[in-house]
Amino acid sequence: MTPEEKELLIEQVAGAWRPEGDDELHYHKAWHDLDAAGRARAFELARALRPLEAALDPDGLSTTARAVLAKIRK
Amino acid sequence: MDLDVHLPLIAAGDTAAFGRWLAGAEPTVRLTLRSFATVIDVEAVLQEALLRVWQVAPRFVPDGRENGLLRLAIRIGRNLAVSEVRRTKARPAEPTEDLDPEAPAPAVSDPMLRQKIVDCRDKLPAKPREALDARLASAGGEDDDALAAALNMRLNTFLQNFTRARKLLADCLERAGISLDAELGS
Repeated sequence: MTPEEKELLIEQVAGAWRPEGDDELHYHKAWHDLDAAGRARAFELARALRPLEAALDPDGLSTTARAVLAKIRK
Repeated sequence: MDLDVHLPLIAAGDTAAFGRWLAGAEPTVRLTLRSFATVIDVEAVLQEALLRVWQVAPRFVPDGRENGLLRLAIRIGRNLAVSEVRRTKARPAEPTEDLDPEAPAPAVSDPMLRQKIVDCRDKLPAKPREALDARLASAGGEDDDALAAALNMRLNTFLQNFTRARKLLADCLERAGISLDAELGS
């Protein structure tokens, strides 16, 4: 895997989308392709992105919060 | 701030109130899972933990201390993370920090700061802005493949545009004297 390919996997894992599931947790498929450093970087990127997303949201919600609310309202 | 001010409405099934609680609680709960980041998908665990908080909130009895629901969320998140570690037979890193759940991590609530961020977003070139807006609009509801297809981009192009958007945003904010988080620009 090239550094550029790894960065793109990290960018995906740092997003809030996760596969739908019933009882089990469903990981992002790209998470499995990352090494420990890549997973740690994805965590830090997500942590940094969410306040920015919230600042751009009319209700001050991150994409994580919106994803949780969408599941509740289903 | 005591996020339990939202508790009565949350317990009554008010999702908007739960959203206001989430806005304050999410950063803190996420940080408490940092030591698990290399062995479990924290985003998946975090969303599930927050969903479970909503499910148990109507039965939650405050103990009189501030941020009781946040402390419960942290416990649920950690328990879920530990279950995942056991299930996957992984070993997490040692926790590096203890967070005070009575002092939630600050959110970007300053209206002037929010306006600066919006201004910087508005200055983004078209393609990076499209990628950023698509991620925000989907709110975790669609994967990047679907978002890329909707914009007639290849997945890699979409992700490169998103990366460019966050770096340009970070640069713009930096020029305005605002340093939100070094991770955004790296």
